[in-house]
Amino acid sequence: MRGALLFFAAAGLAPLVVSDAFLLDSLVLMLVWGCAAGAWNIAGGYAGQISLGHSAFFGLGAYAAALCGVRWNISPWYGVAIGAVLATGAGAVIGFLSNRLRGPYFVIATIAVSQVLLIGASRWRGFTAGSEGIPVPFRPGFWTLGIADKRLWIWIVLALALMVYLVQVYLERSRRGFQLAAVREDEDAALSLGVAARRLKVVAIAVSAAFTAVCGALWAQYVGFVDPLYVFSVDLSIRFALAAILGGLGSALGPFLGAVLVTTLETWLRAEFGGLGSHLVGLYLILYGIALIVIVRYAPQGLVGWLRRT
Amino acid sequence: MRVVNFAHGEFLMLGMYAAFWAFTLLHADPYVTLVVAAPLFFLVGWGSYALIMRPIVHTSHNVQVFTTVGLSIVLQNLALVLWTGDARFVRTSYYTSVISVGGAVLNFAQAVAFLLAVAATAALFAFMRWSYTGKLMRATAQDRAAAALMGINTDRIFALTWAVGITLVGAAGVLLAPVYAVYPTAGLQFVLIAYIAVVLGGLGDMVGALIAALIVAAVEVIGSYTIGTAWKEVLYLVLFIAILVVRPAGLFGQRGSEAIGA
Amino acid sequence: MAAPDVSLLRIRGVTKRFGGITANRGITFDVEAGELVGIIGPNGAGKSTLFECISGFYAPDEGEVELDGARLIGLSPDRVCRRGIARTFQKLRPFQGMTVAENVMVGALTRTRVVKQAREQAHEWLRRVGLAEKAHAHARTLSTGQRKRLELARALATAPRVLLLDEVTGGVDQRSIPGLVELVRELHRGGLTLLVIEHNMRVVTAVAQRIIALHMGEVIADGAPDVVARDRKVVEAYLGQAYVG
Repeated sequence: MRGALLFFAAAGLAPLVVSDAFLLDSLVLMLVWGCAAGAWNIAGGYAGQISLGHSAFFGLGAYAAALCGVRWNISPWYGVAIGAVLATGAGAVIGFLSNRLRGPYFVIATIAVSQVLLIGASRWRGFTAGSEGIPVPFRPGFWTLGIADKRLWIWIVLALALMVYLVQVYLERSRRGFQLAAVREDEDAALSLGVAARRLKVVAIAVSAAFTAVCGALWAQYVGFVDPLYVFSVDLSIRFALAAILGGLGSALGPFLGAVLVTTLETWLRAEFGGLGSHLVGLYLILYGIALIVIVRYAPQGLVGWLRRT
Repeated sequence: MRVVNFAHGEFLMLGMYAAFWAFTLLHADPYVTLVVAAPLFFLVGWGSYALIMRPIVHTSHNVQVFTTVGLSIVLQNLALVLWTGDARFVRTSYYTSVISVGGAVLNFAQAVAFLLAVAATAALFAFMRWSYTGKLMRATAQDRAAAALMGINTDRIFALTWAVGITLVGAAGVLLAPVYAVYPTAGLQFVLIAYIAVVLGGLGDMVGALIAALIVAAVEVIGSYTIGTAWKEVLYLVLFIAILVVRPAGLFGQRGSEAIGA
Repeated sequence: MAAPDVSLLRIRGVTKRFGGITANRGITFDVEAGELVGIIGPNGAGKSTLFECISGFYAPDEGEVELDGARLIGLSPDRVCRRGIARTFQKLRPFQGMTVAENVMVGALTRTRVVKQAREQAHEWLRRVGLAEKAHAHARTLSTGQRKRLELARALATAPRVLLLDEVTGGVDQRSIPGLVELVRELHRGGLTLLVIEHNMRVVTAVAQRIIALHMGEVIADGAPDVVARDRKVVEAYLGQAYVG
């Protein structure tokens, strides 16, 4: 808990102290990925429903925001809401699947869902401008989410991050949280004790989906471009899971720490090796892959576990 | 084995690169490379089992999923770092040859790959069905604990199963190199269909997987005619999800098998 | 409230098939409120299957199960639990990642919405089953006998009207059995209705007022322990394992 206070305080104060655009930009991205990882953690860490299709929700949010600005000329904040609603629907579908499939087979189904959306978005020229993606228009103003000041972005995303963090904490302390933990441990035993396991799983996934979509929408506005091949990709889904696992699966602060680690290393390596040849950037991913294999088996508490012990 | 290898496509990609480098550096025809590569991949399979899979074979689903996902990331990026992301091509002399069968015109290399794949599948099926080792593998897949109690060295069976899988997919990669472009993420385009075919066909059922694969292919082709080539994948993906909703065990799987873990 | 002439639990013609095997065939019996019924039978007789059918994990192919006159067939297991039937499992299934108290709280939270209350109730149940000093230990550190008590406490925390115990003494060392048996008796004396699957004939004859014997999916005997223990069909089914006590 104290660690979380430290983290959020530091993030909140940083814009007042730091003025380097590059660092502020990194911080925004860290927070966005942290939120997405935290949202993933709600389904993956707390409900035990591992999905590699969360990019479906992220992409829905991103597209909703972008299309609001580009096609319908309305505030992208509506896009945030629309994206969340659509993602909740998609989340309910995946939640339904989670009650039919277990383990890796469920994972495959989630990948299939995200790929359906990827293909849909990248081919549906008439609606989504196809595989070229959508450049998000920058119209200055808060209502249009056209914000040039990175500091304001940090606080906006921080607000979301706090929400995601608090939802996770709620899942650790509340009645629903206990029941969800039981479902995650042993669904049949939980059922025999009166826990409405199926409904809980669907709700957890739907909530996870909604938050992920909001992340996607904000990210789209910040970055300014929505590319279907990225935004619905399996790589992105893996990224959310990776950050959550490295940080500590099933801990509230873990996903944020994991996102910090992932983003930091990535940015540093890109800066170091970018000049030599972009393919060397793959180095950091090799490290992540190895870290993932090792942590998931030998140190499932991730960074949070390591920090607790030191 | 009841383990989904999310790095499956990456071994295919490695097979493609093996064919490419053998062709480029040694001027070896992929079909020759195949003979050398197959045993090599078997060793790679055995080695990767010992190094990576053995420690996690008895752990939870999550650990298994992310271990193979991690492996996938490592292999993809290893290829990226070592050989760059540029697409490579194995342009053999028969690269553009076609043969006509009946009224249809087929790409020569694709046709050969197809025939060899069918032969390999038949051989695998025969092996699993009638050989002693094949029976051991099926027994272990059905009930690990019972198999161990029967004196079956389950660890060695798993290693064998894994290695055979890697060998086949590596060989597939070698065979596909003359037909498709070779780049670090080349495995992805094939692997999703493979997973879908296996899950759709019913887990642990080889014939089911084969039939499901044919169904997926048929749907894809039908889709490309009816709703256009851009959307053909959507058709089988949506069909996949729809079928799973109704029959989670897949078309031919035993009811309830989708819920079985170890 | 149950009408005086309607049994608490009515099982009528429950039949469950798995492919070619009929695990339960036309099982019929009533259980009155406050009864302790022992269920015996050789391996494969269909005892656990019957529990799965009653608790909602399996849907029987034929037959009815009623609690207080209300149908249980077709309800999901969690709803069956909320109606008042709790169970333990033959293969122990504690929530490994949680402490002992937290395990029991999951059960308690089915009856109360307040976490604090659930915690208090959990501690109370742990005290009753004799696990109070282990409340903050992790569930995976418990011995088999302690795990059995934990399962019991957890199921009891859901405030059931009928408790299904599946092999509660199975795998427990000899010294701990009398303690467990006394616990079961105590719960029964407190007014709980129990169905107890047991292999250990000494345990069953000691606690049960009535024994139902299953063989090949059918009820072959139903009555007082000493009568059933001597029933020829039962002796035959067990081939000499019956303990005439």
